[in-house]
Amino acid sequence: MPKRRDILAIVLIVLPWTLLITVWHQSAIAPLLAIRKACHHLVKEIFIIPERLAVRHHRLSDDGVEGKREAGGQAQDSKEYCASDKDIVEVVRTEYVYTRPPPWSDVLPTIHIITPTYSRPVQKAELTRLANTFLHVPNLHWILVEDSQRRTPLVTRLLRETGLNFTHLNVETPRNYKLRGEARDPRIPRGTMQRNLALRWLRETFNANSSQAGIVYFADDDNTYSLELFEEMRSTRKVSVWPVAFVGGLRYESPKVNAAGKVYGWKTVFDPHRPFAIDMAGFAINLRLILFKPQAYFKLRGVKGGYQESSLLRELVTLNDLEPKAANCTKILVWHTRTEKPVLVNEGKKGFTDPNVEI
Amino acid sequence: MKLKLKTVFVLYFMVSLLGLVYALMQLGQRCDCSEHDLPKDRTISRLRGELHRLQEQMRKSDVTKQPQKQPAKPTIFVITPTYARLVQKAELTRLSQTFLHVPQLHWIVVEDSPHKTPLVTDLLVKSGLTYTHLHMPTAKDRKLQEGDPRDNQQGVIYFADDDNTYSLQIFEEMRSTQRVSVWPVGLVGGMKYERPVVEGGKVVRFHTGWRPSRPFPMDMAGFAVSLKLVLANPEACFDGEAPMGFLESSFLQGLVTMDELEPKADNCSKVLVWHTRTEKPKMKREEALQAQGLGSDRAVEV
Repeated sequence: MPKRRDILAIVLIVLPWTLLITVWHQSAIAPLLAIRKACHHLVKEIFIIPERLAVRHHRLSDDGVEGKREAGGQAQDSKEYCASDKDIVEVVRTEYVYTRPPPWSDVLPTIHIITPTYSRPVQKAELTRLANTFLHVPNLHWILVEDSQRRTPLVTRLLRETGLNFTHLNVETPRNYKLRGEARDPRIPRGTMQRNLALRWLRETFNANSSQAGIVYFADDDNTYSLELFEEMRSTRKVSVWPVAFVGGLRYESPKVNAAGKVYGWKTVFDPHRPFAIDMAGFAINLRLILFKPQAYFKLRGVKGGYQESSLLRELVTLNDLEPKAANCTKILVWHTRTEKPVLVNEGKKGFTDPNVEI
Repeated sequence: MKLKLKTVFVLYFMVSLLGLVYALMQLGQRCDCSEHDLPKDRTISRLRGELHRLQEQMRKSDVTKQPQKQPAKPTIFVITPTYARLVQKAELTRLSQTFLHVPQLHWIVVEDSPHKTPLVTDLLVKSGLTYTHLHMPTAKDRKLQEGDPRDNQQGVIYFADDDNTYSLQIFEEMRSTQRVSVWPVGLVGGMKYERPVVEGGKVVRFHTGWRPSRPFPMDMAGFAVSLKLVLANPEACFDGEAPMGFLESSFLQGLVTMDELEPKADNCSKVLVWHTRTEKPKMKREEALQAQGLGSDRAVEV
């Protein structure tokens, strides 16, 4: 027959222990929850800064010194840095600010965008709208490589006026002197020497041991990029891939991703047995990997059509290492648009318009 | 010595109580977290540091600047007709990326379709822009009512096709339009650019290689009209029956004379907008696959 005393004794023993256990359990969980919330809140707040803030920024000069940037900014997705299990990033713009570009963050990896370009009538237009896109992307470094003997004033002026963080390089693809006129050597795929020069510049500028996180992306000047794409590629560890619209004669080409989230093939019609049947705009490489394999370049000669990308990627990574992005390669975030060559018949032989007006 | 049960219990109870108190005290303290140094913690402390730094800068810049009540800028109403085709989403995407840089911009997207398509609807919602989504056939009349602008609202109307390229300066140039302002357009009319010729601050003629005898031989992207003017002339509209190249003239004729045109872009000497056109993507392989019933997933929006 349990005496009152015994019951009291049992209660007195059990009570503090249950209290202790529950309180301890709570205290272990609560900080983790707080971390998640704090992370989201902080990332969001950092990028919502009213336009009253003055715009001052330095540019990444050729010697690779990165300056601090202070400017008005835009709201950014915070899920990127607070969850590793996300499959799609939503870019939420809660407050838009018109000073540009966004403030430089010490936390976000830099995206180095390599764009080869060459002079033609639509060049300024293409670079203008590309710049309008890039001005929305935080921590972006634009490496523009001209296919010319000298850096042209058009591009120099444009880059300066945009206010973007840029590096302006140039290398001329040797012209095929056997053909009359300005035809470049058709054996060298277009843009290859320029992209290789940019890769070399990166290797000379950045130290493999430094902790500067960076992503390298090859962006042609006539494609169309959504802003989501840049946030998808920021989390690249080695090489990440995603679908590209309007390539290979299809609505889109895409990597084949299995249930385990690994790339096992390529959903393309044009030569799907290429080692990497992907367009230049369909992948991004972690800077560390580029620095770690300093011999990897795009092959200049003897490259079959469509094998350019493979010539670089096969020296860097295997199919198994590829990281699929864009919701396991089911969303289109980049379009391989091409701009029509403008009809300039009315210019005639001597040129009707004033050549001093830059277009 | 006899060990009384009572003593044991009391002892046990005291120890438990002390342990509990100790644990509760520990809750509020900073712990030695070297073994728990999660990368997330590191990220958070870095973010906090950045946030404080940026807030400090804000405070400093606030102190130096005088609070001014800036007069409201005139709103630019950009009217973009669009139609469904493969490159539509790409075109509207990069267009919206340009417009996001322009303050006080109201995008009026008019779809050439019997219903509003989900592609355009979703794009506009996600764009972050102020917009109005219309579709034919109600658009022709609606366009001149401009939604909800108040009578005394300052505004400028600009017709922007979805495949052209716009620099950010053109929007600032057109904001000061009193009646109709004009500027050069690149890559149009079979030439590097078309432009109004300005002498003494006034437009005297047009430099164009194609049908210069038109009343207003310029492209849709080469002029902007003030909202006031459009509202004052409710019967002015684009004549769909007009011969090719006369569309702009059919609209402007009822609104303004050449003498009243306001030249922008440094007296029409700079090209700030280009009439680019996007190639139709080659779909031969896609069509071949579709014939076999193996076409790409239609659920994936391109």
